[in-house]
Amino acid sequence: MSDDRKLTYAQAFNEAVSQMMEADPDVFCAGEDIGAFGGVFGTFAGLQAKFGEKRVVDTPISEQAIVGLGVGASVTGLRPIVDLMFMDFICVAFDQIVNQAAKLKYMFGGDATLPMTITTAGGGGLSAAAQHSQSLEALLCHIPGLKVVMPSNPYDMKGLMISCIKENNPTVMIKHKRLLGMSAPVPTEAYGIPLGKGNIIRPGKDVTIVAYARMANEAIIAAKELAEEGIDCEIIDPRTLQPLDTDLIVDSAKKTNRVVVAQEAVRFGGLGAEIASQIQELAFDYLDAPVSRIGAPFSPVPFSPALESHYIPDAKSIVKGVRDVMARR
Amino acid sequence: MDFSSAKQFDLHRRMVRIRLFEEAAGRLAESNKLPGFLHLYVGEEAVASGVCGALNDDDHITSTHRGHGHLVAKGGDFNRMMAELMGKSTGYCKGKGGSMHISDTSLGMLGANGIVGAGSPIAVGAAFANKYRGKGQVAVAFFGDGSTNIGAFHEAANMACALHLPIVFACENNEYGEFTPRDKTMAITDVVDRAAGYGMPGVIVDGMDVIAVHEAAVEAVERARQGGGPSMIEAKTYRFYNHHGVQNLGLKYRSDEEVAIWKQRDPIFTFEDRMIENGVATRANFDDIWAELRADIETAIQFAEDSPYPTPDQIMVNVYTSMTGAN
Amino acid sequence: MSIVGIIVNPNAGKDIRRLVTPATHTSDGTKVGIVRRAIVAAFESGATKVLLMPDRHRLSEKAAEGIAGNIVLVDEPLSGTRFDTIAAARRFWKEQVGAVIALGGDGTSRDVAIGWPDAPLIAISTGTNNVYPSAIDGTSAGAAAAFVATGVVSMSDVGRRSKRVVVRVEDGDKSIDDLALVDLAFINSMFTGARAVRDPNTVKAVIAAVATPASTGLSSIAGRIHPVGRWDACGVFVRLGEGGRKVRVPLAPGSFITMEIAEVRPLELGEEITMTGKTILAFDGERDLPVSADGVVTARVEASGPLLIDVEKTLVIAAQSQMFDEQARHVTNKDLYTSPEEN
Repeated sequence: MSDDRKLTYAQAFNEAVSQMMEADPDVFCAGEDIGAFGGVFGTFAGLQAKFGEKRVVDTPISEQAIVGLGVGASVTGLRPIVDLMFMDFICVAFDQIVNQAAKLKYMFGGDATLPMTITTAGGGGLSAAAQHSQSLEALLCHIPGLKVVMPSNPYDMKGLMISCIKENNPTVMIKHKRLLGMSAPVPTEAYGIPLGKGNIIRPGKDVTIVAYARMANEAIIAAKELAEEGIDCEIIDPRTLQPLDTDLIVDSAKKTNRVVVAQEAVRFGGLGAEIASQIQELAFDYLDAPVSRIGAPFSPVPFSPALESHYIPDAKSIVKGVRDVMARR
Repeated sequence: MDFSSAKQFDLHRRMVRIRLFEEAAGRLAESNKLPGFLHLYVGEEAVASGVCGALNDDDHITSTHRGHGHLVAKGGDFNRMMAELMGKSTGYCKGKGGSMHISDTSLGMLGANGIVGAGSPIAVGAAFANKYRGKGQVAVAFFGDGSTNIGAFHEAANMACALHLPIVFACENNEYGEFTPRDKTMAITDVVDRAAGYGMPGVIVDGMDVIAVHEAAVEAVERARQGGGPSMIEAKTYRFYNHHGVQNLGLKYRSDEEVAIWKQRDPIFTFEDRMIENGVATRANFDDIWAELRADIETAIQFAEDSPYPTPDQIMVNVYTSMTGAN
Repeated sequence: MSIVGIIVNPNAGKDIRRLVTPATHTSDGTKVGIVRRAIVAAFESGATKVLLMPDRHRLSEKAAEGIAGNIVLVDEPLSGTRFDTIAAARRFWKEQVGAVIALGGDGTSRDVAIGWPDAPLIAISTGTNNVYPSAIDGTSAGAAAAFVATGVVSMSDVGRRSKRVVVRVEDGDKSIDDLALVDLAFINSMFTGARAVRDPNTVKAVIAAVATPASTGLSSIAGRIHPVGRWDACGVFVRLGEGGRKVRVPLAPGSFITMEIAEVRPLELGEEITMTGKTILAFDGERDLPVSADGVVTARVEASGPLLIDVEKTLVIAAQSQMFDEQARHVTNKDLYTSPEEN
C-alpha cells in the first residue's frame, strides 16, 4: 500500500485501535453502542466483528461504571479503552475520572498503574446544543494524573491514539466531532506520536497561532488569508494538552514576539489562559503585544445554527485576532 | 464447607488483628498522633474476616472509607499500615494516601476509598479483568448501606449483572450513613431487596457471626468463580465506635442502650466462646493469640514512630508512571 | 370486639439459600402488599379492629398507611429478632384476638405457636421451605380471619388442631422447652452459622410432625419414604446413615441431593424419642440451639399445635351465608363506618 493512502479522522482512530488490539491481547474496548453498532460516530465500526464480544463490549448507559470498568480493569493488569459517547458525559463520570483514575497511583504511593484510555467526542458544530457540544478539555487538564490529547487531523489521530493505548497512565483522547470525516494520508503501519510533543503545522515569522483540534484547521485557513496580507503566521498545534509542550510554544513566541491562542471552548478559564500565562512568565521580554485569546463567549453552546455559527470561533475570528495583535506597536 | 479448627483459628485471627489494629489506631488518634480522618472498623470484624477468609490471594477487593479492616483481613502488614496512618514514608502509600486510601495491590486490595460508593465500579472493572483472563479470580466490592443510595453503586450492580461478571457485592449494613440512621435515608430496610432488581440473588446474614458471613461468602465466591455471576450478601452489623474517630463528637446520634445491645454480640468474643464450647480452643489459646498480636501492634507502632516522614521532594513523585509531574 | 391480628416476619425469605438454590427472595414490598390486602379485607369482612405486630422494618406501619379503620400497632419493645414475633403472638392472646394471620416461613409459625400455642391461625408463606404455611393471598386471608373473628363462621367448623414437635433439652444446668411445627433435626455441626440446614452430611436425625412428599426441606426426607400428612395422627422419625435406602431429597427448593436413610419409623402421638450427644438442634429447618455432649434431648409429636383455619372453607361458608351481599357488608361493617369517633 502506498504512503499516500488516505483515511478519515474516524478511520484513523479505528485503525489505531484495531492495530493495538491485534498487537496486545490485553487491550479491549468498552462503551455504549460500540459493539455491533460501531459507535454513534462509527469510530468503532467493525471492531466487534473482528475481535469478538469479549474484547469489544457493549455497556449499559452508565458512564461512572464505564470509567470504573476501565479503572478496575487497568489496575488489575488489562489495557482498557473505555468510550464516553459525548465529552459532555464526562461530567456524569467525573468522580471515577478525577478522584479514582487520576489519583489512584498517587494515593497508593505508586502501587498502581492505570494504562487506560478514555475516548470521547467533543466540540460543536452539529447543532447538538448545550449538552452535546462542549469543549471541556480545560477541566481535564487541571487534574494531576491525567493526560489529555486532542488531535487535529487523521495522521495525528492515529499516532496519538496508538500512544494513548501504549501509555501507562490514564489518558483522555478527545475526538472532535466535526473532524471525523476529514481525510488525509495516513501510513498503514502502526506509529506513535509522543504525548507531550507539539507540532509546527506551518512555520512563520510574524505571529504565532497556538491552536488545537478543529481550531488548528481554522488557523490554517486564517494563515492563508493573512499571508495574502503579508502576515507570515506560525501555527503550533500542541496536540497533547496535558502535558503541554510549553517549550515549543515559548520558543515560537520568542521568535515571532506575538501570539494568538485559539480554542473552541469558552474563553474564560480555558486552556488559552494557561498558555498565555506560561508565555508571559517565560517570554515576557520578547513580547511585542499581549497574548491574545480566541474562544467562545461565556454562554452554553446554543442550538440554532443561526446562533451556533456565531458562537464557535473560526478562521475569521482568528484572522481578526491576528490583525489586532499585529496592530499593536 | 471447611470448618476445621485451622479455619476457625484463621477467621479468629483475622478478626483479632483487625480489632487490635483499630483500637491501637483509636488510641493514637485520641492522643493526636494520627493526622487526618479515622474511620474505625471495630464491631464489623466478622464481615471482612468472613469474606476475605473465603478468598484467594489473587482475588481482588475494593473497600470503603472504613477500609483498614478489609486490608487487615486480606493480609495487610501492620507495620506498613500503621506507618501509613502516621503519614510516614515507610507506609503502604508512602504517606500519600493515609487512612482513606490504604491499599496493597499485591494483595488484591484495590484501595480504601474516600468517595462513598466509588469502590463498586472499580470492583466491576477488576471482575471484568478476571473474567477476561479466565483464571477463575473473583472480585468483591465491600460497601456500606449508605453507598447504595449513590448512582455509582447502581451503575456497578447493573453492569456487573449485564456483563455476568465474577463479583460479590458485600454490604456492611451498620444502620447508619455517617450520623444519620438508615431509615431516614432509605424507604427499605434490607439492601438485598435491591439485588433482585438487577437480576442477582441477595441474602442476609448475621454480620456479627463470622461463620454465618463465611458460609455465605464461600457460596457467593464459589458461584462467581464457577461463572454463576454476581450476587449480594448483606451483613447486618454495627460499628462500635463513631463514624469518625473514637469518641462521640458533638451531638449524640445513637443511644447508649443500642450500642450496649450490639456490643453484647461482639463478633470476636461470641466466636471465642463457641470455639471453647466446641472444644476447639481454650481460653489459654486465645490469651496467647491476643498477646502475640498485641506485640505485633506494639512493634508496628514503634516501626511507624521510628520511620521518617516523606521529604518534600516526594510531592511530585508518582503523579504519573515513569514521569515525575506535569509541565 | 372482632379483632384480627397480623404478624409479619421481616426476616423471612432472605436467607443464604437464595445463593445456593433457586429459592426466591421475598422483598419487604411483597410482604407489605400482602399485609395491606389482609387489613383491607379484614375490615371489608367485618373486623372492628386490626392489631399489628410492630417490626424493625416497619412493614406493618407501611402496610396500614392511609387505611381508615381501627388499626393498632401493639406496643412491644423490639429486638429485631424472632422474639418480636413471639411477643406479638402472646400479646394477641391477651388482647383476645379472634384470628391471627402470620406471614413468614415455617419458623415464623413456630414463633407464633410459642407465643400463643392455641392461636387460631392463618399461616401465609413468605419464607423458604414452606411446609406449615400455605400460599394464600392476603385478600382471602384477611376476609377469612375476619369471618372467624366476628363469629360469622365458627372455629369449630373451619379450625383444625395442627401438630407440633415438643422438645425438652436438659443440658448441664440448662433446662429448655421448645417446639417445632414441622420438624426437629439433629445437626452435626459446630455452628448455627447461616442458620439454614444446607449440608446433607450434617443431618443426623429428623423428627417430623408433617412429612409430605410435596414439601421441601428436612421434612421431605421422611416425606419421600414414609409420608405423614398434616392431619395424620402420627409423626415420623428418620435417622440418617449408611445401610438403608438412598433417597433423592429437595433439601432446599429446586435443589436435590441424595440422602441415605439408616432408619425410618412412625411415631405415635406422644411417643418420646430421646437423643444424647453433642449436636445442634434445628427447629423447622434452622440451626438454633447447640447442645453439649452431656445434653439430653427428648422430643415427641403432639396434636397440640395452633388451630389452623381453613381459608377456603371459611369463605365458602361465608358465601353460603350470603355474607358477601351488599346488605351483609353493611351489617358487618357497622362498627367501622358508623362510629368514626372510635377511631
